[in-house]
Amino acid sequence: MRPILLSGHERSLTQIKFNSDGDLLFSVSKDKIVCVWWSANGERLGTYSGHQGAVWTVDVSPNTTLLATGSADNTVRLWNVKTGECVKVWEFPTAVKRVAFSPDGARLLAVTEKRMGFNGTIAVLDINYGENLSSQATEPSLTIVCEESKATVAGWSFLSKYIIAGHEDGSVSQYDPKSGEQLENVQIHEFDAQITDIQFAPDRLSFITASKDKSAKLLSSRNLAILKTYVSDTPLNTASVTPKKDFVILGGGQAAMDVTTTSARQGKFEARFYHKIFEDEVGRVRGHFGPLNTIDVHPAGTAYASGGEDGYVRIHHFDKAYFDFMYEVEREQMRK
Amino acid sequence: MSPTGNRADWADDEDFDDPSVLPPQEVIANKDGTKTVISYRYNDDNKKVKVTRRIKTTMVRENVNPHVAERRKWEKFGLEKGHAAGPSFDTTSVGENIVFRPSVNWKANAKEAEKEGGEKGSMKDQLKDKKVKCRICSGEHFTARCPFKDTMAPVEEGTAGAGAGAEAEEDVGGLGAGKSSYVPPHMRKGGAAGGEKMGGRFEKDDLATLRVTNVSELAEENELRDLFERFGRVTRVFLARDRETQRAKGFAFISYADRSDAALACEKVDGFGYRHLILRVEFAKRST
Repeated sequence: MRPILLSGHERSLTQIKFNSDGDLLFSVSKDKIVCVWWSANGERLGTYSGHQGAVWTVDVSPNTTLLATGSADNTVRLWNVKTGECVKVWEFPTAVKRVAFSPDGARLLAVTEKRMGFNGTIAVLDINYGENLSSQATEPSLTIVCEESKATVAGWSFLSKYIIAGHEDGSVSQYDPKSGEQLENVQIHEFDAQITDIQFAPDRLSFITASKDKSAKLLSSRNLAILKTYVSDTPLNTASVTPKKDFVILGGGQAAMDVTTTSARQGKFEARFYHKIFEDEVGRVRGHFGPLNTIDVHPAGTAYASGGEDGYVRIHHFDKAYFDFMYEVEREQMRK
Repeated sequence: MSPTGNRADWADDEDFDDPSVLPPQEVIANKDGTKTVISYRYNDDNKKVKVTRRIKTTMVRENVNPHVAERRKWEKFGLEKGHAAGPSFDTTSVGENIVFRPSVNWKANAKEAEKEGGEKGSMKDQLKDKKVKCRICSGEHFTARCPFKDTMAPVEEGTAGAGAGAEAEEDVGGLGAGKSSYVPPHMRKGGAAGGEKMGGRFEKDDLATLRVTNVSELAEENELRDLFERFGRVTRVFLARDRETQRAKGFAFISYADRSDAALACEKVDGFGYRHLILRVEFAKRST
């Protein structure tokens, strides 16, 4: 496969996201610009400008009409995907590290940083898709305060039933999105190994967490039970579950500050493919010159994209060998 | 107009008045849905050639998500505003091909590959803990630089323990010491007799050199000279020393001017106690 290299950013990538049909790819980086690309050929459709600081996170509504971004300038911005206009700005007391639309697109959650005496919070914003996209509620409908350990990442489970958040101390918690009550909190990763990413499987019944403790875990959304553990040899920044094939893709690498003291070979700047069920590593894809900060998989499972500390986004469209690969037991199962 | 001219210049294609012009292309629709196309052309020998092709047309219908199709019509905006359709070269490029084949025992394979890569990686690393060892006297110099190169045969494994080191060196060098089918000329049948030999002046010395083993570590060259000089004129004393510690390695070579002196010394000193060790003296082997 020949990767498509997107070099629209001048600084390291922070998050990339395919839309629900997989034809668009949104990328954000520390250089304040939000880019949208055609995933098929890597053509840049446009940019969304307005942020005053590093953009930490991006998410697109399920119908691809609205785009939400969270930034270090303490705002969440809502954009019209088609025109690139900013339709709404929400101000927060601290930086926004993660935004996520609920599966139906009616709500948006924003994870805010713990800083300057403010506790980390998860704010839920109601989203309105009327004629006038700029008429949005100004106040969050719910604010969950994380008193113990700040949330670093969060997302919505199946049917928006729970909000699942990953914390700085390596624990994962489950909140009720109506009352904001914490239903469960499980220490799944090593204590104080920050959870760097949470991504849901397509059915949202399970999700994968990536952590600085060099492992990724697949958890059940319902009861936060650990289903699978994927062990790697480098701190992980991101993890994703592939549809169509039972794989997970992990990305990470030496922390950016340590890169200059280690050789490229030792940097481990590769996307690692693990079999989702057997937990075995089945392959790696190299290419980035820095750690991988973010990975997203095409919703149809035909491609994946990775964004690195080196400022590049690489879109990989899988070729036949990827789809043909099967374990012997899987092949037998197919024959039956 | 000549047929050649007709072929060469595409601009004259529509020259219908020319009598040498080719008959027009015929298209016949067949019953089974295929088409037969008959066309004429001139080949390289200026002969008219009839080409019959059967073509089957299949319609491929691709279903595109209507939302995606609608989005395809979107105008560019932001920094891309007004740019032409298609990827622009300053933001989009295609990387080099990556072979990605998932495999069940990926980890084991990768480890092997890494090992191989490492070995090839740097000759320096490979030879890091190899030491130069002379095959003649086990000194820390190349065999070719040995002062006894022309007078001595390589020391056998049992006596000096040099064999292992020397062999390893050869393997690294890729000379294929063991099973190579190449036989150097002097080793070939009858080669020893027929081959020329350089350094003929050492021929005599060859026969008058003693190899002394089981020499004490504390031995000194002049002590040895004193010991052996009493049997005749000694032309050369070589005591092998460790390069780092400067201690004797346990063997020495003594060259006499006269072979009979050497024979006498060999007889007398063999089994002589020197610095608490019993010396073993024998004639050095002929160098090859």
